[in-house]
Amino acid sequence: MKAALFNPIRYGGPSPAGWPVAPHVYDLEIGQRSILSGLENLQLADELGFDWVTVAEHHYAGFSLTPNPMVLAGALTQLVKRAKIALLGPTVPILNPIRVAEEYAMLDNLTGGRVIAGLLRGTPNEYVTYNINPAESRDRFEEALALIRRAWTEPEPFGWQGRFYQYRSVAVWPRVVQSPYPALYMSGSSPESGAMAARNRIGLGLAFTTVPLASRAAKFYREEANKLGWQPGTDQVLYRMGFHIAESDEQAMTDMVESGAAKPHVGLTMANKAVLAGAMSAGYFGKAAEEQKERVAPRDATERIEQGQILLGSPETVWKQICRVRDEVGAGVLDLFPIVPIADRTRHSIELFGAKLLPRLHEN
Amino acid sequence: MAEQKSISAFAERKVGADGFTIRYLESGPRSDGTEPLVCLHGAGGLRLSPMHEMLAKTHRVIAFETPGFGLSPANERSRDMAELAATLCAAVAALGIKSYNLMGTSFGGKLATHVALQEGEKLQSLTLLSPAVFRPAERPPMGNAEERRRVMHAHPERFPLAPANPDIDSKQETLVRRLIGPPRDAALEEKLSGLTVPTLVVFGTEDRLTPPDMAPFYRQHYGNAHLMLIYDAAHLVDLDRPEAVTEVVSDFLARKERFLVSEQSGVIHP
Repeated sequence: MKAALFNPIRYGGPSPAGWPVAPHVYDLEIGQRSILSGLENLQLADELGFDWVTVAEHHYAGFSLTPNPMVLAGALTQLVKRAKIALLGPTVPILNPIRVAEEYAMLDNLTGGRVIAGLLRGTPNEYVTYNINPAESRDRFEEALALIRRAWTEPEPFGWQGRFYQYRSVAVWPRVVQSPYPALYMSGSSPESGAMAARNRIGLGLAFTTVPLASRAAKFYREEANKLGWQPGTDQVLYRMGFHIAESDEQAMTDMVESGAAKPHVGLTMANKAVLAGAMSAGYFGKAAEEQKERVAPRDATERIEQGQILLGSPETVWKQICRVRDEVGAGVLDLFPIVPIADRTRHSIELFGAKLLPRLHEN
Repeated sequence: MAEQKSISAFAERKVGADGFTIRYLESGPRSDGTEPLVCLHGAGGLRLSPMHEMLAKTHRVIAFETPGFGLSPANERSRDMAELAATLCAAVAALGIKSYNLMGTSFGGKLATHVALQEGEKLQSLTLLSPAVFRPAERPPMGNAEERRRVMHAHPERFPLAPANPDIDSKQETLVRRLIGPPRDAALEEKLSGLTVPTLVVFGTEDRLTPPDMAPFYRQHYGNAHLMLIYDAAHLVDLDRPEAVTEVVSDFLARKERFLVSEQSGVIHP
């Protein structure tokens, strides 16, 4: 198995719930410190032997200070010397796909071919960000995926007459270093997305979900791939979850409670009821909409452990939790984000993971 | 149904050229100063699509039936593509056309290339749809109607190809096999770099018969080629996504290479 450290670069100061969050709440000093501290954690993960470091795209709230993950990844290219840099990822349907292809190509050159290219649809609120209709999200995504692949591989300038994208001449410089292009991932919790990942032969990312739901989604993805005559590799199923490790289970839970992270957390999908209602009526979640809502429902710490949403406890306890994800989801990559926002304890948790769990993980 | 409608908007006429009587379909304005668009069909014979109908709103569109196709007698006279092209040049001249735009589809793309080499300055632009000038060594299976449908269409639900007539198909296939030449035609390739007419080369991203992998050859060999990929369309690009094809072809006919620069306004409200 492989391990990735994901850092959404949370804003470290007080930030009200909801979405969008008013910019006046942002404290300049805290914000800048949060970004630097996130970079330090990712650099530490590289030094400890994590296989990947991961960044993502989110807008307009303290949950994440990386509205453009490409910019953060650009900084990481100068700090992360060994691990792959995964972007999971740019929210493709709201972006210019050619710009995404170009930025990935730059990063692939800056890292000597260590970029993992996630292409995501994102949470529904992101469609408000750049005023894009979420009802067209899947079709935009699939076209953008085809266009980005073409932009990376086409040897001559070409034009593109799509449904959503139109270019008269595309010729991406620099070219991507990896051949034919960086490993691709998309999120695939819904059957529609799982089928899309299978027919496009790309990796599947399962995030902010539960082990039972993720197991079902991964099984569906593999079955769809088999029907089309291919088998996803182990690394092509990624499971993202929170983690916090301390010397003992009790200490880990105490850290959770003291930091406030043990309380049920309302994620970006549920943060704005009007946006959620709009996304539901646009069909954003696909046919199994209720299941998708259930996936992101707020849960307390105990329930999150039970559902396999977080790894929490001593290294020994966490190893058992990891084995469950490996066995039930069949994930080859664990994409882990720190859930206790207390700087020294987060750092200690990452160090413990590196020392006690990474070697065992790599043996499996 | 839309195909039937577009056919009804076109008038059927005939012109004598080079000893052949050539049927053609015509529609569109004749006297607004724009050069006509002459269309050469593919190996399946003369057919019109919503693209022809839309283009006929701004251009005089003339779609020839190449001698030996459709209901015309078997063509055993034309010895090669260059000779067949000379016949079509004569047909254009017989209509009194001094200057024009040319479009060729698939097999007609190769024929149009030969016409372009012969017409020189008379030609204002060349548009090749799913052209068969450069072809992969192997063809996908097309033995039955279902296989054929899957190769030809990404979206057969939109404007499906009319059912084949076995007798006509057989006659056309014999002619095409005799004339089309090898997948890589060295003698033709040598001449292409001198072809400076603005050329638009269009491929469907799902085309398996003349796949877009062939597109780079056109850029590398033609003197002035622009590639355009039609997303989610197969070999019959103008039936799968006629609006997308028409928009770019129309812009290319109007502005030639300047079509690279957008003229679409970004203003949302004044």
